[in-house]
Order: sequence, then C-alpha cells, then structure tokens
Amino acid sequence: MNSSPDLPIPISYIAGNYFVFSVDAATFLRREHHICGVLAGTLPQVPQQNVFTGLPLELMPEEARLLVEKGVGCIVDEVNFQKQGMKSLMEEDRKKYLKELESQGLESKQLQIRRKERLREEYLKKKNEKAAAKAKKAEEKQDTSAAPSGEDSVFLFDDRQPSTSPSHVSSRRSSVLGASDAMGITPAISHPLLPQQPPAEHHLPLPEVPSSYPLFAHLHSKGYFLSPGLRFGCQYMAYPGDPLRFHSHFLAVAAEWDEQLDLMTIISGGRLGTGVKKGFLIGGADKSRDDSGVAGSNVRAFSIEWAGM
Amino acid sequence: MATPATSSIPTPTPSSLSNRISTSTDANPVAATTHQVLHSLQHQHQWTSLQIHEIDTKFSIPLISGIPPHRVYTHPDEQLYMVERGLREEDVELDRMFVLPTVQGQAWSLERMAAVFDALPEPAEENEAEAEVEEQTEASEAVDADKAAKLAEYYEYRAKARRTGEWGSKRLLLAVIDKGMGGDGTVVYYVVQEGTVKPRQN
Repeated sequence: MNSSPDLPIPISYIAGNYFVFSVDAATFLRREHHICGVLAGTLPQVPQQNVFTGLPLELMPEEARLLVEKGVGCIVDEVNFQKQGMKSLMEEDRKKYLKELESQGLESKQLQIRRKERLREEYLKKKNEKAAAKAKKAEEKQDTSAAPSGEDSVFLFDDRQPSTSPSHVSSRRSSVLGASDAMGITPAISHPLLPQQPPAEHHLPLPEVPSSYPLFAHLHSKGYFLSPGLRFGCQYMAYPGDPLRFHSHFLAVAAEWDEQLDLMTIISGGRLGTGVKKGFLIGGADKSRDDSGVAGSNVRAFSIEWAGM
Repeated sequence: MATPATSSIPTPTPSSLSNRISTSTDANPVAATTHQVLHSLQHQHQWTSLQIHEIDTKFSIPLISGIPPHRVYTHPDEQLYMVERGLREEDVELDRMFVLPTVQGQAWSLERMAAVFDALPEPAEENEAEAEVEEQTEASEAVDADKAAKLAEYYEYRAKARRTGEWGSKRLLLAVIDKGMGGDGTVVYYVVQEGTVKPRQN
C-alpha cells in the first residue's frame, strides 16, 4: 500500500472527536507524517474488548490541527455532509450504487466459491496420490499372493475419480449466481456514493487545541511520534521512531511559560520517567520569543532524569 | 507549669550546618538553602572545589559549582563511544558541574529554569578552561601511550560533540531540599538538560 491518497485528507469531525476512516489515509499519515492516532473501532459483537481495534483512526485535536496547518488534512463536518449528501442523491445514483454493491457482493461470493473448490481439489489430489501410493505398495507386497485385495484398492481409486468432476460442474454453475446469492457488503467508507473530497461548505475551521499544543508541534517537528500519555502518567509519549519499533524516550508534560510549577511535579515526573528508563520532559512556549507563525518554534523544553545520588 | 527539670538540660550544640548558615556572610535571602545544598555536596557526596556563583538574571538565583568524586552523568552515546574504545569512566578527567539549589515548595517556572540555563557558560567556553587539564593528564599517563592516544581522541571528539549538542547540551543538577514537616535534611538531585536529550539506559 504505497499509494498516497488525494490531499487534503478529509478528517471527520463527529461529536467532538476527529476520525479518519480510510485505510490508505491512515497508513499514509503514519508513514509520511508520523501521525499514529489511536485505532478506535471495535468488533460489533464484542464491543468491550480493546485489544483488536481497527478503523476508524481517532486523532487527538493536536494531531488534527497539525495536519490542517500543514495542509495535509481538512476538517469535515461529517454529520452535515452525510445528511445533505444523502438528501441530494438522485434515485438513479442510488440504484447505480446498489447495483455496484450487489456486483461486488457477487464477485466476493465467486471468489469464495473458487477458493473453496481449489482447496477441495487440492485435498482430493493429495488423497488420490496417497491412495495410489498405498495401492502400489500393497501391489508390490502382495504381488505373488493375494491379488483380489489389490484389485479392491484399484477399484476404490477408480471410484474416487469421478468425485472431482462434479466440482467442475459447480464452478460452472457459480458463474451464473443470482442476486440472492450475493454476499452482503458493508462499506467502511461512503466514498463512491458521496464525493471523496467534500465541498468547501462542509469544511470546519482549525480544531480547538489545549495549551500544550506548542510543545506537541515542537516535538513533532523534531521527528518524534507522539501518542496520548494518559496510560503512562503524562500528556504525551514521545517515540524516536514508529511506536511499533521503538520504546519511547520521553514522558512529556507542557506548562505555560510563567506558570507557577511545584517542584514536586519535576521530582515525581523525574522519578516516574527514570523508573521506566525514560526521560521526563517539561516544556512550553516562550511568549517573549517570536514564533514567526509556526506553532512550536518558540518552545523550550528540559529533559529531567534522576541523578542517582 | 514550669518544669524545673528542663532548665538543667544543656542546650544542644548547633549542628555544623546551623553553624555554617549562621556564620555565613552571604546576604542573599536564599543563602540558607544554598549553604545547605553546598554542605550536603561537600560532606555527603564528597564534592571538591565548591563555589557559589551569583548569576545575572532578573530572579536572583544562586548557583553552586563543584567537582564530583565520580561522574554524575554520561550521555548514552558518549558511553557507547567510551565502551567502543575501552575507556572507563575513571580514565576521564572529571568535569566541573553546576548545581541549582531549591527548596520543596519554592515557586518555580519554566521561565526561571530558562533564565538559569541562559546564564550557564556555553560549552565552547568550558572547553578552553579544560584544555590545560588535558595536557597534564596526558603527560602523567604517558606510561600507557595507547590509552593516552585514545583519551586525546576522546577529548577532541567530546569538544566537538558538545559544540554540536550530540552528547547533550547544557546541563545542571537540580537539588531540592525537603522542608516538609520541618525537613529531615534530605536533598534530592535531578539531572536537568536543555532540549530533548535521550534517556540513559540505567
């Protein structure tokens, strides 16, 4: 999957959260822009399990904002877009779309049938070979003495032979499957039905972000992969590469430039970080320095570790 | 309710720390903190050639500098470099380190931290002072020429790495005194470095 999706990638804004629904977009964001997000989709049958999650990809507001500022993404008011898109749909479009879904369903059904047949044939072939080998052995063994048993196995072998041919018949039959045989397709994205790039009227302004955004942007610009830090007792986890390949380097916490800090924050953070072989990073935007319009360019951060003395 | 017994008990002699603080001529309002940290460094951690610096910031924060008995911090890449060349921490000349004395509960902020870091000498300036020390060590360890060569190579590379920030940039030790419940004299030390410096693999 090295295809890059059309830019800007639509980021769906639904009930206060930011989602990406397309697989291509999600892999592209991770690969090219170091944005991992969190997979938020669970299985409908077991909604409680949170180990095997899939699409959609949920983005932090910071991630969504960064993508919009970079021109890689745009925020889409998904509810309105879907509602209006569906309303303005013509009857013909609807029918065409349903037809398309049906043909997709048939295609996958055929694919499934063909696969089944192939497996069946392979199995039978193996079985026949085994039977033949056995028969041959038996023949060699009982070359002189008992002929009838050898004949028996040969007969058995012959009996199996025709069983493969009905499958060919069925495969011929599968090509003329009716509409009722089609598999039910549940589309993950509404793309063919609605345009991939929603019209500008559905675009939303820049996402609201917490005051820690400058630190987020600063670390991201240094090539770190950032993920939410709730699980580890901080604001962001900073990974030096893809989180699937690297342990994180920092537990990052943001502060305002002149915000009064309790030294205990630094001590507990430093202890927590050192305990898990990470650094504790505290940083914020220096308001007296110009950020020249680029978020995070005026951030200063400090890494803290226990001195061991 | 006068208890006559108490008057007969002699007042205990003040601790060496109390003496140090009361006899100090330091006029800085946080001098007690500075001297307590200095005392801890000198007697508990055996630091040498300790000095107190008044740094020029709008916050009036004193700094302590001294030479620790052994290395306090080694950047992971520096450690790798040393291991690859068979150098041990004891072979390398010790650095003067800065310590920032603070008290638990003291008002602190990123702005103050940045002001302290801005007042620290630049890595390039430090190197000039160290250059003299290098020559001495090389002369005294001339017995092992191979090692001396490796050390020279290390010092050269370290000077470069400090300028580029490859082995971390400016750093100091943050000392925090426990003053909760009257304080038990504990001083804790944390290494603070400017920027994103990757953690050690403790």
